[in-house]
Amino acid sequence: MIYVTDGSFEGILSAIFEAYENKEIPESIVSRDFYQISLDTDVKEIHTNEEKSGRVYNAIIEKMSHEALETIYKAWLSEHYEVGTALYKYVKIGLKIGKKVLSYLQNPDVLLVNDLAHKVAFESHRFLGILRFKKLKNGLYYSRIEPDNNITMLIAEHFAQRMSDQSWIIHDAKRNVYALYDTNEIVFTNEEIPITSDGIVDTMFEQLWKNYFKTIAIESRKNPRLQRQYMPRRYWKNLTEVK
Amino acid sequence: MQLLEKLQILADSAKYDVSCSSSGSNRSNKKGQLGNASMAGICHSWADDGRCISLLKVLFTNYCIYDCKYCVNRVTNDIKRASFTPDELCELTIEFYRRNYIEGLFISSAVIKSPDYTMELIISALKKLRYEHKFNGYIHVKSIPGADLSLIYQAGLLADRMSINIELPSIQSLKLLAPQKDHQTIIKPMSYVSEQIQGANELTIYRKKQMFVPAGQTTQLIVGATRDNDLTILNLTQELYNRYKLKRVYYSAYVPVNTDTNLPAINTSPPLLREHRIYQADWLLRFYGFNAGELLDENHTSFDTRVDPKCDWALRNLDKFPVEINRAPIETLLRVPGIGFKMAQRIVRARRVAPLSFEDLRRMRVVLKRAQYFITCKGVYYGDADIDSGNLYSILSEKTDTKNIYGQISMFAQPVD
Repeated sequence: MIYVTDGSFEGILSAIFEAYENKEIPESIVSRDFYQISLDTDVKEIHTNEEKSGRVYNAIIEKMSHEALETIYKAWLSEHYEVGTALYKYVKIGLKIGKKVLSYLQNPDVLLVNDLAHKVAFESHRFLGILRFKKLKNGLYYSRIEPDNNITMLIAEHFAQRMSDQSWIIHDAKRNVYALYDTNEIVFTNEEIPITSDGIVDTMFEQLWKNYFKTIAIESRKNPRLQRQYMPRRYWKNLTEVK
Repeated sequence: MQLLEKLQILADSAKYDVSCSSSGSNRSNKKGQLGNASMAGICHSWADDGRCISLLKVLFTNYCIYDCKYCVNRVTNDIKRASFTPDELCELTIEFYRRNYIEGLFISSAVIKSPDYTMELIISALKKLRYEHKFNGYIHVKSIPGADLSLIYQAGLLADRMSINIELPSIQSLKLLAPQKDHQTIIKPMSYVSEQIQGANELTIYRKKQMFVPAGQTTQLIVGATRDNDLTILNLTQELYNRYKLKRVYYSAYVPVNTDTNLPAINTSPPLLREHRIYQADWLLRFYGFNAGELLDENHTSFDTRVDPKCDWALRNLDKFPVEINRAPIETLLRVPGIGFKMAQRIVRARRVAPLSFEDLRRMRVVLKRAQYFITCKGVYYGDADIDSGNLYSILSEKTDTKNIYGQISMFAQPVD
């Protein structure tokens, strides 16, 4: 049996609930986006249900701890094609052994969830550093990012605290997710906000920054490999100093 | 002079200071103001030499009255000179910060007119940043050797981290290369700042938190400008951590910038491998429970180039191995070559749930290349050569790929303390 969900976090939790409710053991839980029709296996469409997902959500906190919930949620943000199935197996183990599931790295499913969560946490920390704002004509600061994982939700709060007196937009151009901050609160939206390149007026400080970046390197220690290891090429197109 | 040119001159003169860390402070944001500090530190970029950029690292001025032979800014060098005004420095810091280029400011300086005058200039810029611009981001300030302690105190109230660079690891070297600086002008402020930090921490217990250099103090030692050996450097390091409670000691492979009979020739390449080994040993002192005396002694004054310091120690202490992965306390696991801090923690966590097999370790991506010779799993030894066979050194030194040395410097390029 394959469960097909809408791919949302609540969708996966609803699927886990139904597996328990129907006393079924689905061989996988996949998102509609990744689902490939198979003639050999039964398929069940899962409808995302707030009450069902809420019960699994609470069970994770009660039986396993907040830390486990955080791990599960971060793993989901990886958008990995097998994350639904892995989360199902993780929860199943967790309901049996409780919060020890966090440490049970000998188990391949637990290890996968743990690794995915770790990757997401690592990338969101990385973006606290490599995200760049450009100042727009209207005084807003705009940042375009294209992270591997869906991390906008995880990083927005950091910038709201740090740049608490400036209005900004963080735009995940891969997923069309926006975080908007108006010096008061953060709003997340998928509705497109038009930003034209002539709205950006930031040449002076970008020039200074690029110049600083070049100057600070020690010529006789040049090491492009090490540089790329920390700052992989795929991020460069949104990085002012190396673009 | 244009700001662009000033920035270029004053960043260029600051780049040999290797400290990049922005960690250790939790200065918080006040609503409607700019900035906060992050306990773990944040790297914002990596320069072409692979070193992380986290702070705007500049000199206030590179006009200098001193003539230290190793230094690019020595008074007798014919180079372009510049000074920031406090306003220029504030503007650069704030505007870079708002665009998330940087975590804060690292302000150092050559000595203009006198140490006190220089320190006062720096303080006035920092006051502007903190009070006028309401900037709560990270500030690392260099205390100028010879400046009055009351000025150092004022700077300490404004900064998150403070450092005074020892640079030359022995008094003899200092006399040879920096005859105008005396040992005491470095050690005195260091011990003063260390006392003030402790004092502030004690006050915090019964009073509102007083911030004095909350991220602690650091220093830098130059490696390879003088004849000082690794043992001298490591012993000094140990003393700095123990006696002065330094947060970090940084090491800088000397890049020859001046010609002098007492210095390496101008085309000598910086001793990067040596610097790397010393950093590895520094890590062992701070996080792995080692003492300097275990790693080097009078009969063994330099680190082995072919194996890392932990491996070197293990090979000289084979009677302590192999250790059982499922029973050894974490302090013992930390001494196994190839097992790092994170891995040791992972192992200890996982074995509480169920005993670990060799396969489990592999799956958890414990690097077993070196560790296999020093451990057993459930009592079984998996090394492909016997621990008593006498050829472990040759096996292990082949496994350390020195060509790849830059790629391995991952542990200290992060600003995480």
